[in-house]
Amino acid sequence: MMRTIRRFGVAVVMIWMVTTLTFFLIRLMPGNPIATAYQTLLQQGMTAQQAAVQIHILYDVYPNQPVLTQYFVYLWNLVHGNLGTSIVYTGRPVLGLILAAAPWTLLLVSMGLLISFVIGLLLGVIVAIHRDTWIDNLTSQVASVFHGVPNYITGFIFLYFFTVMWPWFPFGNIYNPSIAVGLTFPFVASVAYHAVLPVAAYVFGAFGGWTLSTKSAAMAVLGDDFMMADKIRGLTSAQRLDHLVNNSILPLFTGFVLSLGFMFGGSVFIESMFSIPGLGYLVQSATTQRDYPVMQATFMLLSAAVILANFAADTLYSRIDPRIRN
Amino acid sequence: MSEVAVAVDDLVVEFSSDEGPVRAVDRVNLQLERGKILGLIGESGCGKTTVAHAMLNAVAEPGRIVRGRIHYAGHGDLLGMSEEAQRLFRWQHVSVVFQASQNTLNPLQRIEAQIRELARAHRISNPNALVGRAREICDRLRLDGRRMLDAYPHQLSGGMRQRVGIMLALLLQPEIILFDEPTTALDSLSQESVLRIIEEIHAKEGISGVFITHDLGIVAEVADVVAVMYAGRIVETAPTGTLFNAPRHPYSRALLNALPRLTGDPRAAKGLTGAPPKVVGEVAGCLFRERCRFQTAQCKMAEPVLTSVDADHRVACFKINEEDGRASV
Repeated sequence: MMRTIRRFGVAVVMIWMVTTLTFFLIRLMPGNPIATAYQTLLQQGMTAQQAAVQIHILYDVYPNQPVLTQYFVYLWNLVHGNLGTSIVYTGRPVLGLILAAAPWTLLLVSMGLLISFVIGLLLGVIVAIHRDTWIDNLTSQVASVFHGVPNYITGFIFLYFFTVMWPWFPFGNIYNPSIAVGLTFPFVASVAYHAVLPVAAYVFGAFGGWTLSTKSAAMAVLGDDFMMADKIRGLTSAQRLDHLVNNSILPLFTGFVLSLGFMFGGSVFIESMFSIPGLGYLVQSATTQRDYPVMQATFMLLSAAVILANFAADTLYSRIDPRIRN
Repeated sequence: MSEVAVAVDDLVVEFSSDEGPVRAVDRVNLQLERGKILGLIGESGCGKTTVAHAMLNAVAEPGRIVRGRIHYAGHGDLLGMSEEAQRLFRWQHVSVVFQASQNTLNPLQRIEAQIRELARAHRISNPNALVGRAREICDRLRLDGRRMLDAYPHQLSGGMRQRVGIMLALLLQPEIILFDEPTTALDSLSQESVLRIIEEIHAKEGISGVFITHDLGIVAEVADVVAVMYAGRIVETAPTGTLFNAPRHPYSRALLNALPRLTGDPRAAKGLTGAPPKVVGEVAGCLFRERCRFQTAQCKMAEPVLTSVDADHRVACFKINEEDGRASV
């Protein structure tokens, strides 16, 4: 318990460090939108004072404030749950933008991750049981190829074939805008229909890796003495398969939980390709337009997700493996 | 004439390899009499464990039984049974005490969960009674039953695990137990206590057993009859006393010569140099000849078969009457 608390403390400190780093790094990037707006106002004939007031009204920042002061104001607001307001979408709170985008990313990426993990687990175990047969050769080759192809390539191929050549699936957005948003059947069905291609792109990019790692884990377990002993004890095939799968999942578990953290960042390509208004899309558009508050908040979220996933993996692993528990 | 509990007939096991099929077990014949313990000895890699696994038709991949019969009294040939019948036969009639019991248990389950799984696999209607029986056996083996059943395999010490392994082997009341080097991984104190437990079980329950080991001292202690294995073949079988006092095969003699004596100079013990050959496919001649001091042209041309030299004493060697000068040691 003490160890869990300490680990959590370390995670919080790491998130603070990442936040600080992003805050200053962002301001080192060329192209400061506030400075540009300030200059424009000056050129329009405003006095420096008027321009500063105008900027403050528009963006809730003081353009001539020292960066360090800005940083402490930012931190102060942050611990009070205020992430600031967007510069590009003038006046809209960053938290609102993130809350609007996050569900789509969570939906797509968790579906993609879960489906690719289950497919990879099944294939990996089958391949390990039938190693050195044509099933193994074929599946392992296919898995290696898909593992090597980045998901934006598969995404692009899917887009071309299934929205252009054969327009079976819709392109762009995550639901049909003519349907009222809500937990109704038409809306959910529309979301599912729109999600097929992006989720498929994610699955095709990820299942190969899971297949290969499951295969090596399962082959190691198959060589363990207890699998041999299980047969001699007369356990049923189902019971032996159960032991095989449970023991093979262990080494994959950490990777799986970490992927949950990384998936927020990994969704940038797929979301911009399929025009899905998720976090990845938000990160991308905020970065190209130098929307500081949005960039800051999304970067912090992406790194916090990885750090917290790491913490979760550490804490949960000891729950599923009794050998680590004490 | 006592009853035969299991007869292994002309057993051949091969492992596929890049060079061709490797014969791990070559035309082995064994008979285990009811209530007796048969010692199976030989150096590592000679096929002892493979014989034990073959007796349950559970040879690990890429090995397979090429031919042979495993005839159990009252059950017939194991290899002729259906898959499901074989599965149920294992552990209900023949169980195994493994060499490293800690690794033969699923690391993710408590011992009790594994017992309940065993109950389900063998369609035992009252799993609670089986758990109770496990607790009783633990008590008899001087283990804290409640603690053992509640533990994960990694929480037990080496000696405890081996006794839990014995408990599991006894659980379904089999007629035969195969002891596959049950004491090899233990320190000598635990070895002694495990051996005493095995002797006790043997005496009380009249269980028949095959005891596999490379430790001659242990064989002398527990076995009624001994079979010496070399490179997949049985080269000599004899009652334990006979084998230790008057071994006839040059390999058996070399094994005994390698033992340090309690009386006399321990340095007089002579190890055997060289290693057993790898047997790919059918190999003619005696497999021991390369390491044998008595080898002649005949040993290369023909294969010596097990021949009776005495009642219950059979040897596969052309040169059984050669003196090996052991008297001078």
